[in-house]
Amino acid sequence: MFDLIFRSMTQRKMRTGLTIFGIALGIFAVVVMGGMSEHFNLMVDNTFELIGNGIQIEPDTIGGLGSLDESKIRQVERVPGVSDAYGILITSLDPEGVSTGMDEIIVGVLPEKQLEAKLTSGRYLVPGDGYKAVVGSDIARKYNLKVGDELEIKRKNLQRSSSITHKKNVSVVGIMEYTGSFFDNRIQIPLDKVQKFYKMENIVSFIYAEYSPDADPTELAKRIDLSVDKVKSTTPEQQRKDIEGQLMIFSLITISAAVLAAIIGGLSVMNTMLMSVSERTKEFGLLKALGAERKNILFMTMGEAALMGVIGGISGIVAGGIITNLLNKSFEAQGTALFSITPRLVVIGLLFAISLGIICGTYPAYRATKMSPMEALRYE
Amino acid sequence: MSNKGNNGRNGSNGNHAVDSEPVLRIRDLRKTYMQGKIPVHALDGVSFDVKKGELLSIVGPSGSGKSTLLSMIGLLDRPTDGSVFIDDVEITKAKESEAPRIRREKIGFVFQHFNLLATLTAMENVDIAMRFTGTSKNRRKERAFELLTMVGLGDRVKHKPSELSGGQQQRVAIARALANEPAILLADEPTGAVDTKTREVIVDLLKGLSEKGQTIIVVTHDMDVARQTDRIITMRDGMIASDTGVKGNEGQGL
Repeated sequence: MFDLIFRSMTQRKMRTGLTIFGIALGIFAVVVMGGMSEHFNLMVDNTFELIGNGIQIEPDTIGGLGSLDESKIRQVERVPGVSDAYGILITSLDPEGVSTGMDEIIVGVLPEKQLEAKLTSGRYLVPGDGYKAVVGSDIARKYNLKVGDELEIKRKNLQRSSSITHKKNVSVVGIMEYTGSFFDNRIQIPLDKVQKFYKMENIVSFIYAEYSPDADPTELAKRIDLSVDKVKSTTPEQQRKDIEGQLMIFSLITISAAVLAAIIGGLSVMNTMLMSVSERTKEFGLLKALGAERKNILFMTMGEAALMGVIGGISGIVAGGIITNLLNKSFEAQGTALFSITPRLVVIGLLFAISLGIICGTYPAYRATKMSPMEALRYE
Repeated sequence: MSNKGNNGRNGSNGNHAVDSEPVLRIRDLRKTYMQGKIPVHALDGVSFDVKKGELLSIVGPSGSGKSTLLSMIGLLDRPTDGSVFIDDVEITKAKESEAPRIRREKIGFVFQHFNLLATLTAMENVDIAMRFTGTSKNRRKERAFELLTMVGLGDRVKHKPSELSGGQQQRVAIARALANEPAILLADEPTGAVDTKTREVIVDLLKGLSEKGQTIIVVTHDMDVARQTDRIITMRDGMIASDTGVKGNEGQGL
């Protein structure tokens, strides 16, 4: 039976080709868009993996912008249930750049609270380190840094100045392994040095509160908000939810654009099959007269639609894979990747293409089985 | 060329239309269409028997009901009333789901316009009739070649219909109709689309098949064709006007 399906498809090469192209384009969109959202999902997952558990305390302003005085750390520490509290100071590596959230970020940390990611070379920061840095893998690749190299950090004078007023070299003491998280774009420098260079003494961006395992983080976050002025606390769970919520919107937008494209591809399958069926009225009528069962005819027509779906799906996935790979390669030079083609995505893309083909082939196939052998054969 | 499916009942009879159980029995067959609100009696009580190996022609003017009759026998359409028995099975009582099986096992169709699949070769056109029977691929190939050789097209098996003449195409169609060794070969105007010379080739082929024991019913306008058959049934207004096979019984059903 497959040879008949094949024959029918190759008989109408142009039309089959266009239909497959339509599906391929749709699935290509699904793969590329999906790849982007998968990549962000993975990044978020990996990031949370590394952060561990800590209540994040930020200024109680819209979006948590602004900064906190270090005195708040002591206040947080005094809240019953908090076992330890520490601050970090975050600033952009390029003070003139526009922040996108994906750019390179300097994190001022206490050496004892630095990220516990593995290092490919060098060492972690230690207490008493001066202008030293442990850098993420993307940073190391982009600036071609090895242990012992110098990385320049810059500062603008906060008042009135539009150009860089201060520069300083920090020496790289350690390079982190690739983590697939936001930390690949981070430069960790001892907190006191960051505060000093950026003239932000006694200031931190966030405070993290650690707590004993038996404490209820939700309760604790509430207690911190009540005990410390003008702060907002979020539990690790809530942080994850917040980000996942944002990602969900992002995913929804990208995926629905992609699905729209794929549905248009599916409609082209339907159109092709309807044309094909009405063109082959006599053929199906004849096959019925020859004793073909409904299932034979269904198999032939739905098989054709499904096969177009499979071929279109595979082409779309392959094309998507190649394009995202090329894009990742070109972004890699700048230290970031944008797409992750996960196995899950490939399976979803393929299933989507096949079901699209089958669903859109169902009605034409049904029409084909309804062909009366009488009507089909009576007239030339 | 043996007729394996029917050997058991044919015996060693010299005469091809044997006096045995009829292959086909039609009893009081009626078909009424509604044309708007006016009922049209396409078939109005038709009864006759066809014996094995008979070459029967059904003639009559357009609208006399002969094509309707053919489609009832071929189970392409259902009667309003009455019965059709093939090999003693009342096919008019068969469920819709059984119809395809009956069509492929009992009936072989030959059409006026051949109705070959343009994309397939002669061989594949014959082969396709056997696909739905679960015959093995090799056996199908063997049988298709055998049949095409028998209709004189052994050297044309790889040709597409467009590369064959009308007569050759009709012979492919006859080979296809015979593929599943049907009880009855139904031919609807088989010579309607070919020239007179080719017509003789087709008729000779049908006569030859009948002599080998194949039951054949031909619907035709062409009295030159009808005259060469064993028996002529003339239809008029959905009834049998005359039947040369029934002595002294012309005009039954009137």
